Amino acid sequence: MLLNEVAESVGVCMPKLLIVDDESDIREFARKFFLKRKIDVFVASGGRQALEIISSEKPDLILLDVRMEEMNGIEVLRELHKNGNACAKVIMVSGVEDEETIKEANALGVIGYIHKPFILEELEKLVFNQLNR
Amino acid sequence: MSPPKIDYKRELESASKGMILIHDPRLLIKLIVRSLVQKVRIQHAGMILYDPDKDSYVLSISRGTIGERIPEDLIRFNKTNPLIKLFIQKEYKYIFENRNAIVAEDINKLLWKESVISNGNGTKQLLHSVSAQLPKLNAVACVPAYYQHMLLAILLIGEKQDGSRFGQEELDFFSALASDVAMAIRNAQLFEYLKREAERNRNLFIQTTIALGSAIEAKDTYTHGHTERVTKYALAIGRQMEASQAYTFPYKFFENLYIAGLLHDIGKIGVPETILSKQDKLTPEEYEIMKSHTTRGAEILSSLSGFEEVINGVKYHHERYDGRGYPEGLKGEDVPMIAAIIAVADTFDAMTTDRPYRKGMSKDKAILEIKDCINKQFNRKPVDALIDLFHRDEL
Repeated sequence: MLLNEVAESVGVCMPKLLIVDDESDIREFARKFFLKRKIDVFVASGGRQALEIISSEKPDLILLDVRMEEMNGIEVLRELHKNGNACAKVIMVSGVEDEETIKEANALGVIGYIHKPFILEELEKLVFNQLNR
Repeated sequence: MSPPKIDYKRELESASKGMILIHDPRLLIKLIVRSLVQKVRIQHAGMILYDPDKDSYVLSISRGTIGERIPEDLIRFNKTNPLIKLFIQKEYKYIFENRNAIVAEDINKLLWKESVISNGNGTKQLLHSVSAQLPKLNAVACVPAYYQHMLLAILLIGEKQDGSRFGQEELDFFSALASDVAMAIRNAQLFEYLKREAERNRNLFIQTTIALGSAIEAKDTYTHGHTERVTKYALAIGRQMEASQAYTFPYKFFENLYIAGLLHDIGKIGVPETILSKQDKLTPEEYEIMKSHTTRGAEILSSLSGFEEVINGVKYHHERYDGRGYPEGLKGEDVPMIAAIIAVADTFDAMTTDRPYRKGMSKDKAILEIKDCINKQFNRKPVDALIDLFHRDEL
């Protein structure tokens, strides 16, 4: 928040990134990682919270975990689609998924898919390419 | 209050002991990493492990304070990653071999080392990349772990809680720990490999046995599917005897029964087809030759070690409980149980399947006839099991 205020005061708008993952270690690591790279980071521990943040903060990009206990990634995508929020840019993050899930995610308009374990620099590139566009 | 001084030698000994006691290397590494964090008082320690299936490296274990530790199995490195490159390419070895580690605060000094400069821009570039990589991994030092020049793991060391630098004694300790870890990983990989090989050999052996079994069927056309059914019945009878506690089977009995079932008529390979497929009554001479398939089968298998029980099944499956069978006229409990079971299964199948010269009888009629032969042709125990299976409609 503080970083954001500083940025706004000097007239720079930092891009907003939302990280959705039900594992707190992953959220915390990703938050710190992107914060250091001058990105305004929001985190959500589940689908419902993610939808709330999406409608209030309108993040430029969302990193969305597929497998989550309460409301998984695909369900979040469906909900976004239903509410006409389909233009939110989403990168899916997942372990080994079946073809079906990938197909549905593509049909619901995700812009990228990254598999765990991933190469850190590839995630970085994917995120920065989207945010600088 | 200064932290208590660590006896590195003792710590190392206890880690080595752990290596012997714990066969799961991941568990061992977790313990080592955790005790590193606690005893050396560092904010974060982690381990990047080689994944032979994907030929890449994964940050698999990480311990430390929240925000410092890195989620496990989230980050992968391929061989072009600067850190991996530094540790696997021989030409860079001189950069870290003095200290057994690459330490973040050394990198600036290294960049001005004559040997690095004379090595050209590539090395400089690599060191810059390594320097940029370390903070992403919350590490200030990295220690490679090799087994026979193969990089199996990298130990990541975070900052000390008191902010002090690492002395060479500490780096040497980390390096020794890392090679213990490499050894543990290598042992576990070898063990896994041997297990897989053994499994593969077993499968190959079973396939060969099945192929051999079907070779008999190709010759003896009367008995199409006979081998397979006898094996199935024999295993069911054995399992039933075990379940009703009628008999205590020795180790690996069912594996042997399976193989013996598949091979029980293997000796028919040595019996002329004219005899095997003759529809009329066999002459006494022909009958003797036919009977010899039991001993011929035993002979075929005699050169295989560990096959004693299987051979018992093959050789004696025409023995009778009253001693009037062949080839040796064994009596009562002297007939090995494996053979007594196959005898019942063999007869039951022969009675219930069609032959060119007669139709097979119904299962209940066959059961009645077999029951009449208890203590004459058959041992009571497998027959009782057969009857139980029949009543439960499992035949």
